[in-house]
This record gives sequence, structure tokens and C-alpha cells, in this order.
Amino acid sequence: MGRYLFHRLWQSAVTLALASVVVFAGVRALPGDPALAMAGEEADPEALAALRAQLGLDRPLPVQYLKFLAQALTGDLGRSTRTGIPVTQMIGTTLPVTVQLAVYAMIIAVLAGTAGGVLASVYRGRWPEWLANGFALAALSVPTFWLGILAVVYLAVQLGWFPASGYVSPLRDPLRAVYYLTLPATILGIAHAAVVQRQTRSSMVDALASDYVRTARAKGLGRAAVVFRYGLRNSLIVVTTVVGLQLGGLIAGAVVTERIFGLPGIGKLTLDSVFTRDYPVLQAVVLVITGSYIVINLLVDVLYTVIDPRIRVSGRTL
Amino acid sequence: MDLRHRSQHSHPSPRPRPRRGSNALAAAVAAVLVGAAALAGCVPIQPVATGVTHSDDLGTPVGDQPVRQGGHLVMGLSAEPDRLDPTTSTSLYTRYVMSSICEKLYDLDATGSIVPQLATGLPTISPDGLTVTFGVRTGIRFADGTPFDAPAVRASLQRHLSLKTSARRTEMGPLTSIDAPDAGRVVLHFKQPFAPITAALADRAGMIMSPAALVAEGANFGDHPVCVGPFKFAGRVAQTSIDLVRDPLYYDAGQVHLDAITYRIMPDTVARAANLRSGDIQVANEISTQDVDALARDRHLHVLQSGSLGYWAVTINIGNADGAGTPPKPIDSPLARDPRVRQAFADTIDRTTLVATVFNNWFEPACSPIEPGTPYASPASTACPPYDPARSRALLAEAGVPIPLKVAIQVTNTQDQLRYAQALQASVAEGGFDLTIVPVEYATLLDVQKRGSFALLLLGWSGRIDPYGNTSAFLASRAAANYGGYSSPELDALLTEASRSTDTAARAQLYGRATQVIQRDNPIVYTYRLRVLTVHSTQLAGIEVYSDGVVRLARAAFRADLRTGPEG
Repeated sequence: MGRYLFHRLWQSAVTLALASVVVFAGVRALPGDPALAMAGEEADPEALAALRAQLGLDRPLPVQYLKFLAQALTGDLGRSTRTGIPVTQMIGTTLPVTVQLAVYAMIIAVLAGTAGGVLASVYRGRWPEWLANGFALAALSVPTFWLGILAVVYLAVQLGWFPASGYVSPLRDPLRAVYYLTLPATILGIAHAAVVQRQTRSSMVDALASDYVRTARAKGLGRAAVVFRYGLRNSLIVVTTVVGLQLGGLIAGAVVTERIFGLPGIGKLTLDSVFTRDYPVLQAVVLVITGSYIVINLLVDVLYTVIDPRIRVSGRTL
Repeated sequence: MDLRHRSQHSHPSPRPRPRRGSNALAAAVAAVLVGAAALAGCVPIQPVATGVTHSDDLGTPVGDQPVRQGGHLVMGLSAEPDRLDPTTSTSLYTRYVMSSICEKLYDLDATGSIVPQLATGLPTISPDGLTVTFGVRTGIRFADGTPFDAPAVRASLQRHLSLKTSARRTEMGPLTSIDAPDAGRVVLHFKQPFAPITAALADRAGMIMSPAALVAEGANFGDHPVCVGPFKFAGRVAQTSIDLVRDPLYYDAGQVHLDAITYRIMPDTVARAANLRSGDIQVANEISTQDVDALARDRHLHVLQSGSLGYWAVTINIGNADGAGTPPKPIDSPLARDPRVRQAFADTIDRTTLVATVFNNWFEPACSPIEPGTPYASPASTACPPYDPARSRALLAEAGVPIPLKVAIQVTNTQDQLRYAQALQASVAEGGFDLTIVPVEYATLLDVQKRGSFALLLLGWSGRIDPYGNTSAFLASRAAANYGGYSSPELDALLTEASRSTDTAARAQLYGRATQVIQRDNPIVYTYRLRVLTVHSTQLAGIEVYSDGVVRLARAAFRADLRTGPEG
């Protein structure tokens, strides 16, 4: 186990180092000049040159990269070129918002998706299945940005049930925090609910047709017990894997949702820093997102070895 | 794209209801054909009802209205301000926030005239124009409690000159030194006379920073700006919001009613409009012309509007081969070579119809960099050549270029600009131009503009109080922002003379003559001038917007006779 862990840690470090090169190069491959974006249209050449020097853009790329790496390793991600705010502070305020949004959306997706999937599999070929499948198809087809705008216009503006935008920290007021996040999390979670639902439905259909379910039924177990204890419980393994895969999609979807609902998350930060060519922020944000993927993957892999000891064996052969 | 005017005010004439079946199919086929033709860019612009004029509503001070003391105002701001540092800031939106925390030596009033704010009177200019003297308030304090005086003014102005990354240097002109002979007087010494200095001091250059804060924060002053103002900086969450609280030390604190102001960053126009209606924000700027009619009908909201000092224009690349500011080189294209071709392009822009179709008539046609409402306007500088596609074709034939003349225009990839570019495409097609639209993201477009890798480029300029800031930087030979690489000794002489003269009437006359040169050579073809559209809740009183476009919130208040807002 120790050796496997060491192996995986080493692999993660290499991946992260490679990712940092790709992120650094990718950000610089964007057309446009951050100094110019910052100095504006009437920039005087002297100020522009001074800005370039201040941002370190006048140095060769490898030097810029090494400086970025050396600083990043000490936890210093620099300052935003546009606002001058330290990047670590910006990530520190935006990342928790996105994590809350993603977790809340995932809870909604799992609850709604599992319920729909169970309904669709139990009432196969009847109207609840059509309804559930129709919902899934619609939820997958309708773009989040459109749904988000509709929700703002009808649920927030006309009916006034939810706030149209804004964010409240759960540390300040937990109830209001949930209230403010409900609409964005629902909008973000809907498409993922559809995926979870389809997955639950198909694995439930398999599970309900399996021998152990037939045996359970033959032994006279109640319908609910069969469905939930034997069917759903066995399907949840697949669902868990899907949920893990969906986390990436949630972060991507959060970019759009955060923009529509004016949520101060990392998705909005990424988008804004692309538009203003804020290199330090963009680099750091993409690196943090990449890093969290790697960490999640690592955790999942390590968890697998705990759940399934056979993986440890294959770890040795790697 | 359907270019017909779809204003809320237009009423279609009653027509017989089409029968279902074949008619519906025919209508569908027709719609597809029209759509395809529109995509190909060959639908001519339909005549529209023009001449709808909008009168300015700049808002009114609180005055005698019954207002409540206290309250927390939330404004939805259309873009994130940059550093809150008067020396380095280049963002228009930073001005909005700074207007509440950082008073300036001079300010504009509702009529667009320059009035003293931290200064005690308009400056006195020596007969040779080289020395400018003004008095400043004494006995008042910065938000950190330190005294405001002439040496503090000198420190701020000196920083604009000496900080390497200063964005104010060109605005200060040929300023050589700053003296503060006593606590209440500042003397500026110039190498040449420089009339636009008063206007510059009514803008960011005139915001005076606390010297103690400058020493403590240095280049990071923008993290915790400290000035003299009705409000003081309380905190900022990047990309999200900026919070201000009332400054008890402010010299005119009796006129300040609110406890706090939050500027919430909301770049999405739909989101800003929705939040205004839901009451989550009480003020929003840059309302889209697509939303403003609907918001104007909402009885809980009020629309403020004023003309703008800036403009939108097409820059023609005449000689920018190696980047702006470098010596111009000839560019081998009919538009760059032949003024007649540029004249033809300018003649075939149907400015009035374009603003009517694309902006529901909320914006105004523009033909020069001089804003008609300012004292520097004259009949010559506001004259607009008529739309004349026939003349345009004749000029192209005279210049011996193939008709249609193929040319590409680079525009920002925003919805409004793409719609405008498509309408422009249809308009210039009438005059013999085959325009290809190249949408480019804003930061990239700035780079394209600077490098000179364009033929035509459509961009806007937010405008400056003094016409100097709207002309010289873009048109004087080898100026930093002369992106078209245009060079005319005749125009250079006129612009220089206009910047040195201190007589407003004489300057107006010179800018009129300059406009005639610009309209003859057409290095920049001006297209329209936007109106500053701001919407606020009727619960509020005392919000004002002047022609500099800045939304002034500092003296606003919640009305006592109405229900208060959610944050109230």
C-alpha cells in the first residue's frame, strides 16, 4: 500500500509539473497583450514599457516560467495585473463559492436523478418512465445559460421567489446562504440529474432483472425492500462512479451559471481573467483546477484500493 | 438578419390574417429565404421612422425631497474596475467608484461646465500661458485623518508625473514642475501653454491621494485608497464587489445620507436588468438599448440619460505598418492610398438609419470627435456630410477601383457591435463596398489595433471633457494612439494651436477647422455617439449622471415617503 501510494504521488507530481508547462504556454499563446489590455487605448509608450517590465513580460519565456514556478512553489501566485489584488486571496475567496455551488448542485442532481431513475425502472413502459425520460431528454438538451436566464426572469423577477443574483457566505447566515444558492445550484444540477437518472434507470433495470432480485422476490420480500435494498443499493456503485466523472462537468458548467447569477466563484474568475488577459490569475486558477482534479483522482484511486484489494496487486505491476 | 426597426412604439398596420396551409408553408419558405439572404449580407436597409429624439435627464439633487438618513445602496456595475489608483487606472468604471471616495480638484456640473471641488476657484493662467495657479481648500481632512493641503496636492500630481506606470502623463501635457508656496495655493509650470489641464484636473489626474497612505502603501495604494470623499473604501472582493462606507471626516458630511454603497460587478446586461426589476440592486449603468424601453415602462424604475463625450468610429489603416507611434509607412490598399476611396466609404454610411435600426434610436449619429453639447462645438465641427451612396460609387469609379471593393472590418464580438457591423455592411454595400466582418475579442482587438494588422477597425472611445483628449492622441502624427498611422502637418498645426489657446471660442473655431480636415482625409470615420443610460429605483433620490458618464451616488438617499429596498 505504501509503495502504491508513493508511486501514485510521484505520478501526480509529474502530471502537475507537465500541467504547469501547458498552462503557462497556453495562457501566453492567447492573442492580445496583457500590458496593453491594462494600459488601455491611449497608453503612452513609456508607461506601456514600464508595465511590461513590471509584469516581467520583457523577459524570455523560460525565465518567466521558472520565476512563476519558483514563486508558485512558495505559495506566492503573484498579483492580478488588473486589480493588483494578490491571486492567492482571489482564489481563497472564489474557490469556496464554486465548491459550495458544485456540492449543492451535485446533491440536487443525485437526489432528483436517483428518484427519477428508480421511478423509470420500476414503472417501465408506463407513464412515469415516459415522464422521467422526457425530463432527462429535455434537461440534457436545454443549454444551462438559457435555462438560467428563464429562471431569473420568471422565478426571481416575476414571482420573486428567489434572489436574481448574489451570494451570502454560510458563515454569515447559513439559511440565507442556502436560499441564495438554491436557484443557481438547481439550474446547474438539472443536466447532471438527467445523466444520473439515465444511469440509475439502466443499472436498476439490470439489477431488477438479476437472479438475486428474483430470489428476494420469491422469498416474499416486500416491493419497496426489493427495490431499495437490492436494486438501488447495487446500482449506486455505478452511480457513484458517474457522479465522480460529473464533477469536472460541474466546474465547467459553473462558469456559465456563475456569470448569470453573478456568483463570485472561480468559474467567473477564470472567464474574467481570460477577457482581461490577467496572466497571473489565469495561470493560477487553471493550475488550481488542474491540481484539484489530480488530487480528486488520487483520492478516488486510493479509495479503490481500500474497497478492492485486487487493485493493489495491479499497482505493483505498473 | 432583419434590419427593420422593431421599436416598441411602432404599430404594424392591420393585415388580413393568412390562411393556414399553403400560405403558412409559403411564409415559412419566404422566411428561410429571407434569413439566408440576410446571412449573405445582401438585405438592403429598410427605411425607418427616424428623428425620435431623447432629451437628457441627468437626475436632480436631493434638494427638499423627504429622505431617510442611512441605508445601503447597491449598484450593478457593468464591468470590473481596475486598480483603485488615480495614477494608474485606465478603466472608465474605476471613475464610478472613485467618484464616491476620491474628490477631484475640479468637477463637472450638470451643464458640463468645470467647477471647483477641492480647488477654491478656477485656475488663473499667466499671460504667457506657462504658469497656472489655483487655490485649494484648507482645514479639511483625508479619510485617514491627515490634513488636506497644497503639499498633498503637489505629492499627488508629482506621482502622476514620476510613477513609471502612470497613465496620467500625457493628460498632464508639458508640465515641468509643481509648487506649493503655501498651504492653500498650488502653482503649475509648463514648457508650453496647455489649455486642457483644467479638464484633466476634473478627471482622474485631479483626484488627490493622502500622502500618508501613499507612503504606507506605495505602488499598492489601489488596495486601500485613501482620499477626501463622502465615502471611504471598506473592502473589495475581486470580480465581485467593492464596498464603501460613509466617511464621518468628510467636510460636507451633512449632504451625505447613505450609510454604505456596494458596487456589485455584473457584466451581463440581462442580469443587470433582471436584478433592477427584482430589487436586488437599486442602480445599474450601461443599460442595453434592447432593454431600456421595457425598463422605462416599469413604474418602480427611472431612466437617466445624458449625451456622451465619446464616440464610436471606424479607423482606416493608412500608414500603421510597424505599430502605432512608429513612423508611418505607405500601405498598399485603395483605402490607404486614395482619399477618394475613404471619402466614398464615409459617404455611404447611413448613420441615422443605423442608430435607428440597431439601437432603437437611443444613440445618435456622429460625424466628428467634437461632442455637440460642449462649448467647443461649432457649426463646422458638428456638420454631418449627407448619406450619398450614388456619390460614393462615383468616387470609387473615379479612383479606378473595382466595384464592389472588398474590404474587411474588425469589430468586437459583442452582440451590439456585431449587429451594428451587419447593418453597416448592408449600408456600405449600397455605395459599392463589399464588407467582410471579422469579429475579434476585445483584448485581441486592442493588440490588432496597436500592431496595425487591420484595414478597417470599429471601436469606441469613452471620451474626455476637453476635446484635446478626443482628438490629438488619435490623430496627431505619431501619437501613441494614432492607430491608423495618419499624418497631416495641417491637422497637427491646428490641434497644437487648439491645445495652447486658452480662449474657448478660438478653440471651438480651431476644432471646427480640424474637423473639416478630418472629414476631407477621413483617417477616422466617426459613426455614432452613445447615450449614457442609467436606471435607478424610484425609491432613491439624488442620483445624477453628467456628460462624463459617471454615475454620482455619493449624495443619493432613500426617499422617506416610499417603502425601502431589501438592503435598506
